[in-house]
Amino acid sequence: MSIPLGHYLMLSAFLFAIGLCGALSRKNAIIVLIGIEIMFNAGILNLVAFWHYKYFTTLTAQMFAIFAISIAAAESAVGLALVIAIYRFYRSVDVDEITSLKG
Amino acid sequence: MDQVYKVAPQLLKFLSHLLGWLPWIGKPLAAFLGNPPAWLVMAVAIAIPILFVVAVFPGIFAYTTLVERKALGRIQNRIGPNRVGRWGILQPIADGVKLLTKEDIVPRRADKFVHFLAPVIAVIPSVLLFSVVPVGAGLVPVNLNIGILFAFAVSTASVLALFMGGWASRNKFSLLGAMRAVAQVVSYEVPMVLAAVAVVMVVGSLSTLRIAKAQSGGFLNVTNWFVFRPWGFVGFVLFSIGAMAESARTPFDIPEAESEIIAGYHTEYSGFKFALFQMGEYLASIAMAGITVTMFLGGYNGPGSGPGILGGLISMCWFFVKLAFMIAVNIWIRGTWPRVRVDQLMGFAWKVLLPMSIVNIIAVGFWHYLTIRPIAWLVTTLWLVVWFVVLSKLAATEKFAPRTYRYAS
Amino acid sequence: MDTIFWILSAITVIGAVLAISLRNLIHCVLSLILFFLGIAGHYFLLRADFLGAVQILIYIGAVAVLMLFAIMLTRHVTGDEGPREVLGGKWWAGMGTAIIIAGLLWAIVRKDALAQALPTGVAATSVAEIGKVLVTDWVVPFEAMAVLLTAALIGAVVIALEEIIRKR
Repeated sequence: MSIPLGHYLMLSAFLFAIGLCGALSRKNAIIVLIGIEIMFNAGILNLVAFWHYKYFTTLTAQMFAIFAISIAAAESAVGLALVIAIYRFYRSVDVDEITSLKG
Repeated sequence: MDQVYKVAPQLLKFLSHLLGWLPWIGKPLAAFLGNPPAWLVMAVAIAIPILFVVAVFPGIFAYTTLVERKALGRIQNRIGPNRVGRWGILQPIADGVKLLTKEDIVPRRADKFVHFLAPVIAVIPSVLLFSVVPVGAGLVPVNLNIGILFAFAVSTASVLALFMGGWASRNKFSLLGAMRAVAQVVSYEVPMVLAAVAVVMVVGSLSTLRIAKAQSGGFLNVTNWFVFRPWGFVGFVLFSIGAMAESARTPFDIPEAESEIIAGYHTEYSGFKFALFQMGEYLASIAMAGITVTMFLGGYNGPGSGPGILGGLISMCWFFVKLAFMIAVNIWIRGTWPRVRVDQLMGFAWKVLLPMSIVNIIAVGFWHYLTIRPIAWLVTTLWLVVWFVVLSKLAATEKFAPRTYRYAS
Repeated sequence: MDTIFWILSAITVIGAVLAISLRNLIHCVLSLILFFLGIAGHYFLLRADFLGAVQILIYIGAVAVLMLFAIMLTRHVTGDEGPREVLGGKWWAGMGTAIIIAGLLWAIVRKDALAQALPTGVAATSVAEIGKVLVTDWVVPFEAMAVLLTAALIGAVVIALEEIIRKR
């Protein structure tokens, strides 16, 4: 395979930027969480690309990636539970309307 | 199937001899097929396992539906379908024609794209599961190092189809049925995967081919089957129950039973899309039966199986005999046991099956570290029996009065 | 092999772009699933087999279903709005900035020796090694991860159940 490492770095930079743009520019809290998931995956892809090209004799990067995927899954579970609880109180998941810390 | 890379050029040569006598295109075609370019060999080598899976297993599915209807009929003291062809042999074809020609009704406010995609996503994981089931000695469509992990990853993707089907129909009852179906499937995945972990621990590899190979040897190639070990027997029972719940077969068929909330997540589907849902469910149950056979019942091992052509053919026969046995047990259980209530279903999965599967893993640990075999058998069996009794006493919440029988006079 | 990289990248980028810009939330999650499949394909291409299977198992099998449930439980009556107005609605400003930054990145990457390295025959890692390392060198993060996941499980259930407890 003759794809240099730079292509993978550009790809994960693109995906990170797309995720960031999605997290910042939508009103719905769930799309913000989707953007965060895209950013996570872009970062882990970057990590695995470096592992493949430079450090494939050790397993450190794979371990890191496995733990990162687990943490991302736990974080999205708790985040979505929070969104459900917020919806119960505010009757909306619009991030512009969830403005008070009370309740 | 690594042998296909050797078989493909020979197959092409055979085709070139066969087609060489055609009038105008015969000679160039024979020359082309006789010295095939590399991409053609690779294409044929990839196409052979695909054609095998696509031809054999849907055929088994079609005749499983017929056998199921006739067997259920006999259990219920009636004959099954026998109008279409002798003994109803052409019934699956008639069913297929009927479902293909039925009108495809899509609700007006349904989400058309998702409504269309849900049956497709129901079928794809079921067909992908067949690619890691070894049907004979060394004959598996795709030889993956992570075969069992791939099988479970793909079967969790079928959960999406349930939800999409229920959501896209814009029907409150469909949605409720879909939520119950998703809860059931997701709950029973966990003890199923943990029961498979026990087998993977003993074999030391996730590859289905190695798991089947680890069960060869022993007296007549039979005594090494994992079902004849204490942890293997418990694992077999756990995995079969989980597999029955995964593909929503009775006694766990709340998602698709006729007396439940209309028809659950496939209420608003008619015609070919409904046929695809049914096909996805049956193919999943056949594929899970195949994986059960591979992991617990010895895969393709049986008296007379081994390497070589004759051994390979005998091993294929043994695999299909065992697959037929598992499908028959599924049909038998469907015909005789009542349906579980939904809260009993969830309680059973989380309170009984999950602790039992963890106990099974610990039993495998004992088995591995106690190297004197009789002591290992004794300790493992005692451990499993004690925990089974404890869990069933703890989980029994309803006290039943002793049964009274009334007979017709 | 190269064309596979470009096809997978196209699938991934299209999935990500659609996931943040479609109006219907369910379609967003479906294109997110396409994105996850593209990333899993990249992991398989980079010879990290276990990671690819874990990606499909966890992200598509669990996280996507979780998002679908959350969408179902938080439906508006009025339906979804599309993207907000950013930059006063001048989308070409954002596009221009993106192109300039991409050009700068490309100019940097093109000359860097590390970024132009080609792989030298990587064999796929075996799951047995990962398993062995998880319980010898990496046992403390493993146990910490177990505690974290248990806490997240209990916490998510408690947060989402609050209504029923209050009503009593």
